[in-house]
Amino acid sequence: MANSSEVRAILDLPSSSTPAPAPKKLSVPTARKPDGISRELFSLIGPSSTTLVAQLAKPRLKQKPNLGAGSKIKWQWRAFKNEYPFAKYNVQRPTFTYSEDEYTLHLEDSEWTKEETDYLMKIVAEYDTRWYVIYDRYEFAGGVARTMEDLKDRYCSVCRKLVRNRPWAGDENSKNALLSSYQFDKEREVLRKRYVASLENRTPEQIAEEEALYMEIKRLEQNERKFKRERDDLLRTIAGIDSGLPDIVEDELPASSMSSDPKRSKKRNGADLDSPSTPLMSTPLSRAARPSLPPKNSAYDLQHCITRTEPPAAATSATKAAHQPAYLRSFKLPFPKAAQAQKVTQALAELGVSHTRLVMPTQGNVALLDQLLEATTALVDTKKAVDKIEFDIQVLKNRLGMQGAAAGTAAEEGDGGTEGMEVDDGNDADGDADGEGDGDGEDGRAQSVLKTHFNVRTGPAVNVHLLRGFCGHGIDTGGDKAAKANLIQGVCCVKFMAYRVHR
Amino acid sequence: MREAEQTGHSEIVDQSRNFWNARPSTPRILATDFFARVDEVSALVIDIGTSSVRAGYAGDDTPKAVIPTTYGLLKTAPDADSAMPDATDPTQATTGASSKIYMGQFGPSVWRAGMEVSNPLNDGLIHDFEPITALMRHAVVDVMRCNPSDHPILVTEPAWNTPANRERMAEIMFEEFQVPAFYIANTGVLNAFAAGKGSALVIDVGQTMASVTPIVDGFVLRKGLVYSPLPKLVHAHARHILTNPNQQRRGIDLFPHQLVANKQQVEVGAPPRFTLREDRLKGTTDSWRNWYEAREVEEWIQSVAGVLEQGWNDQVAASRPPRQYEFPTGYNCWFAQERYSVGEQFFWHSPQLMASNPSLPKTIPALITESLRACDPELRQVLVGNVVLTGGGSLFAGFGDRLSAELARSFPHVKIHSPGNPVERRYGGWLGGSVLASLGTFHQLWISKEEWTEHGKAIVGQRCK
Repeated sequence: MANSSEVRAILDLPSSSTPAPAPKKLSVPTARKPDGISRELFSLIGPSSTTLVAQLAKPRLKQKPNLGAGSKIKWQWRAFKNEYPFAKYNVQRPTFTYSEDEYTLHLEDSEWTKEETDYLMKIVAEYDTRWYVIYDRYEFAGGVARTMEDLKDRYCSVCRKLVRNRPWAGDENSKNALLSSYQFDKEREVLRKRYVASLENRTPEQIAEEEALYMEIKRLEQNERKFKRERDDLLRTIAGIDSGLPDIVEDELPASSMSSDPKRSKKRNGADLDSPSTPLMSTPLSRAARPSLPPKNSAYDLQHCITRTEPPAAATSATKAAHQPAYLRSFKLPFPKAAQAQKVTQALAELGVSHTRLVMPTQGNVALLDQLLEATTALVDTKKAVDKIEFDIQVLKNRLGMQGAAAGTAAEEGDGGTEGMEVDDGNDADGDADGEGDGDGEDGRAQSVLKTHFNVRTGPAVNVHLLRGFCGHGIDTGGDKAAKANLIQGVCCVKFMAYRVHR
Repeated sequence: MREAEQTGHSEIVDQSRNFWNARPSTPRILATDFFARVDEVSALVIDIGTSSVRAGYAGDDTPKAVIPTTYGLLKTAPDADSAMPDATDPTQATTGASSKIYMGQFGPSVWRAGMEVSNPLNDGLIHDFEPITALMRHAVVDVMRCNPSDHPILVTEPAWNTPANRERMAEIMFEEFQVPAFYIANTGVLNAFAAGKGSALVIDVGQTMASVTPIVDGFVLRKGLVYSPLPKLVHAHARHILTNPNQQRRGIDLFPHQLVANKQQVEVGAPPRFTLREDRLKGTTDSWRNWYEAREVEEWIQSVAGVLEQGWNDQVAASRPPRQYEFPTGYNCWFAQERYSVGEQFFWHSPQLMASNPSLPKTIPALITESLRACDPELRQVLVGNVVLTGGGSLFAGFGDRLSAELARSFPHVKIHSPGNPVERRYGGWLGGSVLASLGTFHQLWISKEEWTEHGKAIVGQRCK
C-alpha cells in the first residue's frame, strides 16, 4: 500500500502543492512496529491507536490441509461423540427380543414359524422400521409371499404381546402409549391401500367425469345461492320488508297482553307482534353511535328498537365457533323435531297453517310459532300415547272376551271395570256419533291428529293445558263435560294464533 | 487532489479496521478448524461408467480425473521387445507379458497399428476387472497423483450390480490398492443425494443403459428397479439412418479422421472427395474402427438429433429447422425430419417393431410405468413428485421436455429435478458420492481394512445395504 507521494514519485508526477509531511513523521514510530501487523497498516493507524493493544497477537490462519503427506495415516475404529446438532433426533425404536419360552407362551401363530418371526424382527431392526424398504428386502427362504400389511401386522402384534405380558417398570400411561404405538388394523390398512390404488386406477374418462360432476355441483350451488338471493329480494319487495338491516329487528310499541310468558317478555322487551319493523330506523347514525354507548343501555335500546339476544351458553370462550354472527331471523325459524316433523306438519296443515313460511318473522311471532310447534308436537305425542293405550285396551278386551266366552260369564262385567274400558266405550260412542267410522283405533292411527281430541275423553286436561300454553290466557279447564267445547275453542285458538303468526 | 488523497487514505484505514474486526476471536477460527479436521478424511470417490471413469476428492463439485472407460489393447509379439514404448509412460500399463493397455486422454483415441479396443463394462456391469484395476490406478495415481493407500475410497455401483462384483471390487481395493477404508454405494442413491433428496425416482440414462430406480430414505427399492439397454437401440437407430441410403442421399461413410489423409470442400449433399490413409487401413482393427465410428455417430447425435416435446407429429417435425452436419470425410448435408426420429426411440416404439423384435428394450415411459407399478401405491405419488433425471444420455436435446410431457400425461403432480449444468447431469453419481463421503456422519459406515481382514467379503454386503 503505497503512500500517495510514493506513488507520485514512482509515476514521475510532480509533487502536490503542499509537500506531504506524513512519511517523515511516521518514520519514527514504525521502528517499534509490533509483530503480526503490516507496516503500511501500522503507519496508517499509528502507535497510539487503542485497538492495537488487543490485536497484537499474531493472526492465526486456518491450517492448510495436509493430505496424505508426511507420516502414514493410521486408520482405526474409535468411539466418538457425534457433534451433529440434529443427532439427538436420531431416535432408535426399542428392539424386542424374546426367549424360546416367551415365544411358545405368547407368540405362537399358525401363519408364522419362529424362524421367520426371528428374521422379521431382525430385518425390522436392521432397516429401522422403514416398512417400504423392509418389504422390498424381505426374503425369507422357504417362506410364503407376504404383503407389507402381513409384515406390519405380525411385527406389531408380537411387540404388543411382549409389552403386555412383560412386567412393566413405568406407569400405566406410558405402557398404554407404547401399546397404542404398536396398534395396527390390518383390514383397515388393506382397505385403505385398495382405495388409494383405485383412486390411481381411474381412467381419464372417469377423472373427466368426476371433474365434470364437481363443476356441476359447484354450478348448482351457485344457482341455488342466486335463486335464494333473488327469492329473498322478491319477498322483501312484495312484503315491503327490508330485513337486510340487522340492527333493526323490533318496533317500539309497548308490551301487549299477549306476553304472559315471563321469559319471553323479558327477551322481547315488550314489543308488539303486529307492528312491522321499520326500515327507516336503519340509520347509519344509530350504528355509528352504538360503539360509544355502554352495551346494556336498556333505555337506549328501547329507544332505538334494539333487541339483545342472550349469547349462547357456550359463548364464554372466545373461539370462532362461539361467535354468533348477525343473521336474519327468517333464516332461523323454529322447525319441528325431525322425528315428528311429518306429523306436526300434517296436523298444522289440517289447521291450514304453514309453519315453514312466516311473512313477518318478528321476535314475538317467532316465539309464538315456536310455541305452536311445541304444542303441536305435544299433541302428536299425546295422540301417539292414546293410540297405544287404545290398542292395549283392544287387546285386553279381546282377551277378556275370550276369557268370558270360555268361562261363560256375562259380558256386562267389563263395564264397571277399568277406566280403560270407559275410555274405550266413549271412544266407540264418540266415533259413532261423529259418523267417521271407527277405523281410528288401529289403521287410522295416523290419519288425523285433531280428531283424537274428540275421541279421547281422558285427554282434555292435557289438551287444555297445551292450549293454555298456546294462547297465554286461561281456558276453562272444566273437565270431561267441557272437553269438547274446550277443544274446539283450543283449536280455534291455535287457528287464531296461526292467523296472527301468518300476518 | 489533496482531498482525494485524504479520502483515499481514510477509506483504506476503514477497510483495514474492518478487516481486523471481522476476525476478532481466535476461538471461532479454532472451532472451524477443529470441525474441518474432524470431518476431513480426504476420501476419494471413483465412479465407473460405461463411457468414462470419474475420480476426485470427496467434497469437490467436479471430479478431478475423467478418463474414458474404453481402453486400447496392443498385443505385442513376444520377440518385439525393442518396440516397447517407454515404461514410464503413464498412459500405458502392461498386462501379462505380451500385451499393453492404452488408457486416458491419449489411450484408445490415438490410432495405433493393430490396437484392439474394448470396454470392461457390459450393460453397466463390470465383467473384466483386470483393466478396471488399471483404469482406477491410472485415474488416481497418474492423473490425480494420489497414493491410494492414504485415502479412503468410495466406489459406485449400478443398482443391478451383483454381490460377487462388489466383493471383487472390495478385494481389489483392499488387496491391490491397500486402501485404509472402502465403501461401495449405489449410483441411484447417489444421484438422489446429489439432487438433495432422500426419496426419489431416479431416471438414469447412460451410454448403454437406461434405468429407473425408486429410492426411499436412501435405500433402493429393488422390486421397483428396472433397466434396459435403450440407449444402445437409439444409437443403432441413428447409425442405421446415417449409413443406409435413402431418397435424398446415399449411405454415409463414417471414416474417423485418423483414417482420412485429405479432403476437399464439397457442396451440400454432393459426394465427398477425400483420400484415405492407405498406410493405416491395414493396421486398423475392426474393434477400433467400430468404436470410433460409434463416436462419430454419437457426435452426430449430440449435435443434430433431438426429440419432439409432445410426441411424434409429422407436421411439427417438418416445421422444425433442418440442421447441417459435416462428417470427417467432408460430406455434409441437411438433416430435417429424420433427426427427430432418433429421439423418438427413447419414448415410443411402433407396434410393428415391437412385434418383430420381442426382446426390444423398453422405452422410458414403459420403464417408469413398470417401476411404479412394482412400488406401493402410496409411494407412487411421492416418487412422481421427486423425479431425478440424470446421466449423460439425458442431455439428449429435448429429452427433459418430452419426459415431463409424458409424465404429465399420466400423473397429476409431477416434479422433475434435472440439473441444467451438464457436469452435474453427467457426473451425478460421482457428485452424490462426493457429498456422501464428505459428510461427518458417514464416516462410521466405512469398511476399514481391519474389518476387511477380520470379516472378509461378508462385511461388504452387511455394511453397504
